[in-house]
Amino acid sequence: MSLTPYQIVAPVISILALVYAWSLVLKQKKTIWEAVLWTLFWAAIAAIALFPQVLDYLAFVMGFKDRQNALLITFLGVISFIVFGLIVRVEELEQRQTKIVRSSALREAGLQEKKQE
Amino acid sequence: MRVVAVIPAYNEEKRIPSVIRRAQQYVESVIVVDDGSTDGTARKVQELGALLIQHGENCGAGAATMTGIEAARRLGADVVVTLDADEQHDPNDIPLLLKPLEEERADIVFANRFGPFGFAQGKRRNHIPFVRRLFNAVGNLVTFAVTGRWVNDSQCGFKAFGPRALREVQIRMSGYEFCTEIVRETVRHRWRAAEVPIKVLYSEYTLAKGQSFANGVKTALKILLRSFLR
Repeated sequence: MSLTPYQIVAPVISILALVYAWSLVLKQKKTIWEAVLWTLFWAAIAAIALFPQVLDYLAFVMGFKDRQNALLITFLGVISFIVFGLIVRVEELEQRQTKIVRSSALREAGLQEKKQE
Repeated sequence: MRVVAVIPAYNEEKRIPSVIRRAQQYVESVIVVDDGSTDGTARKVQELGALLIQHGENCGAGAATMTGIEAARRLGADVVVTLDADEQHDPNDIPLLLKPLEEERADIVFANRFGPFGFAQGKRRNHIPFVRRLFNAVGNLVTFAVTGRWVNDSQCGFKAFGPRALREVQIRMSGYEFCTEIVRETVRHRWRAAEVPIKVLYSEYTLAKGQSFANGVKTALKILLRSFLR
């Protein structure tokens, strides 16, 4: 079985992403449940890369005429995912602003954090 | 055990005095986080002798709750009880929430508006409007989907944090999503959780102040996305 570069790169990236996700679980930054969601997502990416015929089944199930259409829809999904990612980044900026408002409120109430000596 | 009540408030000058007065009967001190109110909320809080912390602008219920929790930590509290400022929660239920913590059965106690409350002989259920029940059911399902943990009333703001939970809790979400984040924290830190049925007082005012359907959908999407992209 000869593999295309994409069929090698995609599973490698998936494995790295999974190792990273589960390392966050060990550091208690991610819950097991979230890591399971990540595992399903990256496993699907790797599976589609290694077994493109999966898309034929997807096309059949979703009523698309051919594999190319299914691929297009899949990429639209990925792009939506990226857009939502950007929304989350914007929210993170809002969070930073909130953090400033919160620490200033605590300072004004005379409850500033004691510095460790 | 030093118990502190944390009340996030936004434009609640009419309701907050009675909440503070009743809460003061059960806790050592009351912290009110005024989340950028434009009415007389801050003045009422000061008149009643509660500790006032003011956000310069409206940041959301989650941010206000976390500010209150942080203040309680810095004041050396052992236990924090969070409750809404709109009279929806009855401060007389605070001892019920504290009981599992006093008996060292739990690190966090969730109030449950949907369970039967009262004494064994006369247990009653709250009359909660159908739309509210539906919203809460969706909130519970979303919370379960992202945390893997079922809590009967995950979206209720009435909670008690024991010493361990108080030390470890870190809320990053500013809006109403914080309730789901607290369930996530429960899973992440492996806290022991208890649920206590409480009575709830819905009025036209509290119903009008609640989340709209569009807000609920937005909140659910945010929670799902955040849990996936975190």
